Amino acid sequence: MTTPVIANIIEAEQGTSLWQDAWLRLSRNRLALFGLAVLVLFILIATLTPWIAPYSYTQHNLDLGATPPSAAHWLGTDIFGRDMLTQIMYGGRISLAVGFIATAVALLIGITWGAIAGYAGGRVDAVMMRMVDIIYALPFMIFIVLLMVVFGRNMLLLFLAIGAVEWLTMARIMRSQVQSLRQQEFVEAAISLGLSPATIVRRHLIPNALGPIIVYTTLTIPSVMLLEAFLSFLGLGVQPPQTSWGLLISFGAESMEEYPWLLLYPGIAMTLTLFSLNFLGDGLRDALDVRGAKD
Amino acid sequence: MRLSALRILLLLIPGLFLAACGSGESNVVQGNRAGILHFGNGTEPQGLDPHVVTGIPEMNIVNALFEGLAVKNPYTLEPEPGVAQSWDISADGLTITFHLNPEAKWSNGDPITAEDFVWSWRRALNPAMGNQYAYMLYPLVNAEAFATGQLDDFADVGVAALDEHTLQVRLNAPTPYFIQLMDHHSTFPVHRPTIEKHGKSTDRFTRWTRVENIVGNGAFRLKDWQLNRRLVVEKSDTYWDSDRVQLNGIVYYPTENTSSEERMFRVGQLHYTQTIPLDKIPVYRAKEDSPYVNAPYIGTYYYLLNINEPPLNDVRVRQALAMTVDRDRLTSTVLHGSNVPAYSITPPGTLGYQPPTLFGYDVEKARQLLAEAGYPNGEGWPGLELTYNTSEAHLKIAVALQQMWKDALNIDVTLANQEWKVYLDSVDQMNFQMARRGWIGDYVDPNNFLDLFLCGGGNNSTGFCDPVFDDMIQQQAPRAKTREERYAIFDAAETRLMEQMPIIPIYTYTSNHLIHPSVQGVPSNLMDSVNFRYVSLENELGVIE
Repeated sequence: MTTPVIANIIEAEQGTSLWQDAWLRLSRNRLALFGLAVLVLFILIATLTPWIAPYSYTQHNLDLGATPPSAAHWLGTDIFGRDMLTQIMYGGRISLAVGFIATAVALLIGITWGAIAGYAGGRVDAVMMRMVDIIYALPFMIFIVLLMVVFGRNMLLLFLAIGAVEWLTMARIMRSQVQSLRQQEFVEAAISLGLSPATIVRRHLIPNALGPIIVYTTLTIPSVMLLEAFLSFLGLGVQPPQTSWGLLISFGAESMEEYPWLLLYPGIAMTLTLFSLNFLGDGLRDALDVRGAKD
Repeated sequence: MRLSALRILLLLIPGLFLAACGSGESNVVQGNRAGILHFGNGTEPQGLDPHVVTGIPEMNIVNALFEGLAVKNPYTLEPEPGVAQSWDISADGLTITFHLNPEAKWSNGDPITAEDFVWSWRRALNPAMGNQYAYMLYPLVNAEAFATGQLDDFADVGVAALDEHTLQVRLNAPTPYFIQLMDHHSTFPVHRPTIEKHGKSTDRFTRWTRVENIVGNGAFRLKDWQLNRRLVVEKSDTYWDSDRVQLNGIVYYPTENTSSEERMFRVGQLHYTQTIPLDKIPVYRAKEDSPYVNAPYIGTYYYLLNINEPPLNDVRVRQALAMTVDRDRLTSTVLHGSNVPAYSITPPGTLGYQPPTLFGYDVEKARQLLAEAGYPNGEGWPGLELTYNTSEAHLKIAVALQQMWKDALNIDVTLANQEWKVYLDSVDQMNFQMARRGWIGDYVDPNNFLDLFLCGGGNNSTGFCDPVFDDMIQQQAPRAKTREERYAIFDAAETRLMEQMPIIPIYTYTSNHLIHPSVQGVPSNLMDSVNFRYVSLENELGVIE
């Protein structure tokens, strides 16, 4: 009776790394799994859209106009006779791309900035973090409008602009993580082994701070997507004929009484994505929170 | 941070509904009792200076605050007494003598004198003023020379105060529509002491138009102006004809978003809307006793082409673009039949004038022209940006046209929307390639559409300049003996213009308003002109929602 138990313990001690442990906890969280599944599905659809979309997204059929869902057009058509399903699929490409690319930009800048500030400390840290504070204080809209005026409308710029605003919190989180990790023995060991600061940050500090970063990332993506929706709603974001969920919702909201399907379906797609990301983020936070699990 | 944006959204939605059905009594009910008209005005006014403003929203306010020598009867559009109680036109049509009403007063009580008009017109024509509508006074002898800086002495311009209440004007040529111009804000009098107190007479946008400073002479005076919220005017007791003014006040709302405007109308927040969302037209058409009023309107919706900018510097490209707009399909679908396709700048039937039609919807010919211009099947197309002011209808038209050009010519057109004031600025400075424009007649005459395109005209904005065209409009047409002869000259001039295609006409406007049944005295007319002196509110009807 006792032997298998001991074997189990040994197995557990050998087998489950922090990541496996986290995955185990995550897989018990049904909502988070659901979120993950929806996201994977949406990303898959978005990637394959040019091949699987039922219609061309620029194809007008003015004589058809806005029609409710039918066999030919599962989600109906908009006032230009464009297929809504196609619109939502293409809109998803932009919205998801903004979400992921802008977040990636934010991650890249935020992690580098925060890690350097946190590791260097002292005056460098003070200067770098005050810059973060200053950019934080800039009104976001004015910043975006200025960028648009100076550089013109450009999708890549939109991604960068959003990323350039979202990295600030990331930098703060990273800095505080690095500051606390820096005091630990394994970093001191690395220093005494003569590793360069760059290597220490890259090999030891960043991987150890990844937990909170991943969690924050899943929370940044939805807020970035909402930002894009907001900007497109105001006409500062994506321009027709390209579309995004934000733009589709803004269009749909104008005629929601006559053509409710124009608002409903893009709204559902956007909401599902946002909820999924939030569920996944919640799940990841619980899963990666080591102390929480041991208690 | 987490979920916060989402939460705000969720909180907002019920909030909107609550706001809509808030305080028990609607604006319309309250307004009908108190004699206050709630007027959807389209957008926040650029300003209130009659010699500066250019838009319809501004005009709706300025016409309430100021009054010219003559005003329009909203039923007939015939001129009737304003500040001038009568006028005499000499037999040769070259001299007009206005007899000012001695009762006419400024809102601070000062009497209005003929000298006020001389000073105001001098200001309106002063080159330093940058008044885009200065040309409204060009029929006056030497006015153009003064406005373009060739003449320094205003005494040589054909306007003089004979005595306190007599104003005499001398014209270059008989101008049948001159009295109509007296109801245009660029010819309105302004109060000299007030303007000079707040800056140089030619300064634009000084503090003189602020609520606490402004002095006008209209049927109403400015009471309150909250930026982007509302502008309130109240009945003026110094107005000479105040006994006939039935409204006690007007509240103007900057209703830039047509959907919210329609919603405001539906819940009784507005008596009158500036327009109607396109998708709502079928809904309101189907109603009995519909508040939807659709009437012919002297205006043309068109795209300006900056002919100095490639690829539009090639006339063949301009023609190809114009020929591939399927106007019939656009008006019947996206516009729900609310407007009429246009192929000329002048609206058909302006006082009997039928403009020439030089082109039609012709994809084959357009493709050929584009190929000749060096872009066969759109190859090598450098791209083209279309600028328009933010509005649902402009966007829909732009999206539809963008696709028509893509389908017919395989060329890409990008869209750029701008807020109204930014858009006006871009157009004035010709900082665009292609821009959406609407022109509404300031008086009923083809001249008003054609003289836009004089060399360097304030509203030309295309770079089009043709001395022969200018000569026809400025020299030949005014000297024509008969209406037929005059219209023949206009026809020839418009042909010259449209051969060069500095604009793409899209549709002829109709006015589209939602008007609450309690509003009286707002007849449909070709100018879509509201004369607030005639407007009244029927209280009993106010309960019908």
